[in-house]
Amino acid sequence: MMEVAVLMELEKMTLFSAVKGRLSWLTQRQEVLAQNIANADTPKYKSSDLKAFDFKDILRRGESQVRMSVTDASHQPGARRRIRDFSEEVERNPYETSPNGNSVIIEEQLAKVNETHTKHQLVTQLYKKHLGMIAMAVRGSR
Amino acid sequence: MDDLLKTFQISSAGMQVQGSRLRVISQNIANADSLPQDPNGKPYRRQIITFKNELDRSIGLDTVRVNKVKADMSDFGKRYEPSHPAADADGYVLTPNVSRLVEMSDMREAQRSYEANMQVIKSSRSMLMGTIELLRR
Repeated sequence: MMEVAVLMELEKMTLFSAVKGRLSWLTQRQEVLAQNIANADTPKYKSSDLKAFDFKDILRRGESQVRMSVTDASHQPGARRRIRDFSEEVERNPYETSPNGNSVIIEEQLAKVNETHTKHQLVTQLYKKHLGMIAMAVRGSR
Repeated sequence: MDDLLKTFQISSAGMQVQGSRLRVISQNIANADSLPQDPNGKPYRRQIITFKNELDRSIGLDTVRVNKVKADMSDFGKRYEPSHPAADADGYVLTPNVSRLVEMSDMREAQRSYEANMQVIKSSRSMLMGTIELLRR
């Protein structure tokens, strides 16, 4: 029972909610970068990126999003084109745009992929470490 | 985690179109010497592939797909070869509008884009493994 109680509390700890937010930012960014690279040869495609993850994102809770409530059986929940957690933005001043209007630079995108990967590793390791510390506090060191 | 799985779909769509591009390029190179049979005939016409990005409704994201494979309408080359069966009155034969150099550099570009997509898949895969690793305690 005690472990269940600990798990319930995890969400309330700042580090865990920060890790959660950061991980979803990183996975979503990876998705955007994959989209850019897949369209590296599509005419007129403009590369985009996520807005940088900042302190506000750590503070933000899931409840801040306003949704329409369904009060009658005949109401439609209103299908939207997927609610994004983090906002995407098209890069306004791309480094280079090719004659066919495409602004994706593979090197730049791959560097970003690598950066995302490294940060992901950092965050998962942090999570592990912290969980280990909690386990140690619960069990006592051996 | 769901996002990472979608990444695989996007990248594989990217690899797929680069594969189609390579197919068109190899067709062009293979036919670089396909001359006409008679003086009225036309030699092989170079094909060009174009891409477009499109909303994939099953994952709600923009992926890439082949738009059209069209003929390159630029002028044919000419070669002086009076003994050829397709030579005209002045002894010239029309040759395909394929430039091997252009095709080769196009091929390199396709290869590079393909590798970039593959790199994204590798990276996403190892991120996914990192997340799964959290379960192993």
